[in-house]
Amino acid sequence: MITLIRVELLKLRTARMTYGLLAAAAGLSALFCTLEAARSGVGKPVAPLYTAAGLNSVITGGVWSLMFAMALGAIMSSGEFRHSTATFTYLVTPRRGRVLAAKATAAACAGMVFGLIGWLIPTGVGLAFVASRGYHVAVTDATMARYAAGHLVAGALLAAVGVGLGALIRSQLAVVIGVFVWSIVIESLVGGLFTSVRPYLPYTAATTLAGTPLGGAAFGAARTVASGAGPLPFAGAAALVAAVAAALALIAARTTVRRDITQ
Amino acid sequence: MAIIEAIGLTKRFGSVLAVDHLSFEVERGSVVAFLGPNGAGKTTTLRMLLGLVKPDEGTATIRGLAYQDLPQPAHEVGAVLDAAGFYPGRTARSHLRVQAMASRSDPARIDDVLALVDLTDAADRRVAGFSLGMRQRLGLATALLADPEVLILDEPANGLDPEGVRWLRDLLRAMAADGAAVLISSHILAEVAQTADEVVILDHGRLITQSRMGELTAGAALEDVFLDLTSAGRSHGTSLDDDTEVQR
Repeated sequence: MITLIRVELLKLRTARMTYGLLAAAAGLSALFCTLEAARSGVGKPVAPLYTAAGLNSVITGGVWSLMFAMALGAIMSSGEFRHSTATFTYLVTPRRGRVLAAKATAAACAGMVFGLIGWLIPTGVGLAFVASRGYHVAVTDATMARYAAGHLVAGALLAAVGVGLGALIRSQLAVVIGVFVWSIVIESLVGGLFTSVRPYLPYTAATTLAGTPLGGAAFGAARTVASGAGPLPFAGAAALVAAVAAALALIAARTTVRRDITQ
Repeated sequence: MAIIEAIGLTKRFGSVLAVDHLSFEVERGSVVAFLGPNGAGKTTTLRMLLGLVKPDEGTATIRGLAYQDLPQPAHEVGAVLDAAGFYPGRTARSHLRVQAMASRSDPARIDDVLALVDLTDAADRRVAGFSLGMRQRLGLATALLADPEVLILDEPANGLDPEGVRWLRDLLRAMAADGAAVLISSHILAEVAQTADEVVILDHGRLITQSRMGELTAGAALEDVFLDLTSAGRSHGTSLDDDTEVQR
């Protein structure tokens, strides 16, 4: 199994797509948190950066990278069918369930890198703005550490969710569009209409791991805290997203992964 | 002794009966040509042998085991099935690195097989820029990476230049002489006639004949024999000389 995971990691390292997604995640994270920081202040859309709420808006602005982690996972599994590389993969490893498990594990490792970027860039930008304006840092070290851990865990779990989605849907274009539409549009709509279920939506739960207030994930940093149910506790949110990843992988393993490879 | 064995293989895709109770075998030390018109079920059969397509009935075994039960399948069987099966942004060397790691093959073999298929100069180029012939060569390099004793090749000469076709013929003959079992599907019948010891012909998913090459052709051109035996020939009004005997 370790060899299979190393193979999947090697595939990632030797594919330009990985670096393109990382660059896009880093760029969008930098853009959104810089915009948030620039719009902060008394009477402005974002609370001043000397407040915990204001700084939090900026340093949790890297949730875009979590979406890209999920897209990476989806591309890892659906890409095997887009490029017909599934034939080579299954010729070497005919036990397809093991391939799926290795992909999910490797995606989780890569997802942590996306999570790290989604934490490092906004935190760096936020602290740079705080320092440039002569403020004190209003967020404790413990909270910073929690956000860092949350980004890593969320990136890992969402990437594993993406692998399950890609294995189920197999059309790379459809699954990548689906990842972004689900995260940006559907969860926003469903969470807005039914606030009691909002904490249980998988992408929302993952972003609350990373410190984003409920309802603020879809377009970067949150400016308002939504009413309704509160966010799940860290362990609960992690367990929920992990359960979604496991369920998708299990369904895929019992359905689409068993299908004939005809091209 | 049969190394590759298909017994009663049957596969339907919806209402289409792609392979119909097909049985044949390939022995050690032989090159067997697997022939049939387009849509005869050749590729489906090869994919069933390799565990990629699940038969509705029958069994396909290699050394007595289903492909997925082989302890180290890539070390036992090399296969070329689809020239398009490469990630286009990856270089030829990176592709082989992935395959070598997955099959636990010696990484030193990468340079060997690249040289063998004459791709050394293109090793660090991305596959997206490869011609069909270069992709075919890379597929063959992948198949040979773990030094298998069984080769299953679907149209491996597609896109190869004349030098490549001769190289492939010599390679397959040399491997068979060393005891390998080779099953090769092809439409280039003049080439097959020079390469194969034995011929399996199918049509509409059914076995038409499995015969020794010399016994099947009995001096006639393989193309004429093939066209006479299959629907492809019948639709073009081709007929075999009356004195040509066919073993069925």
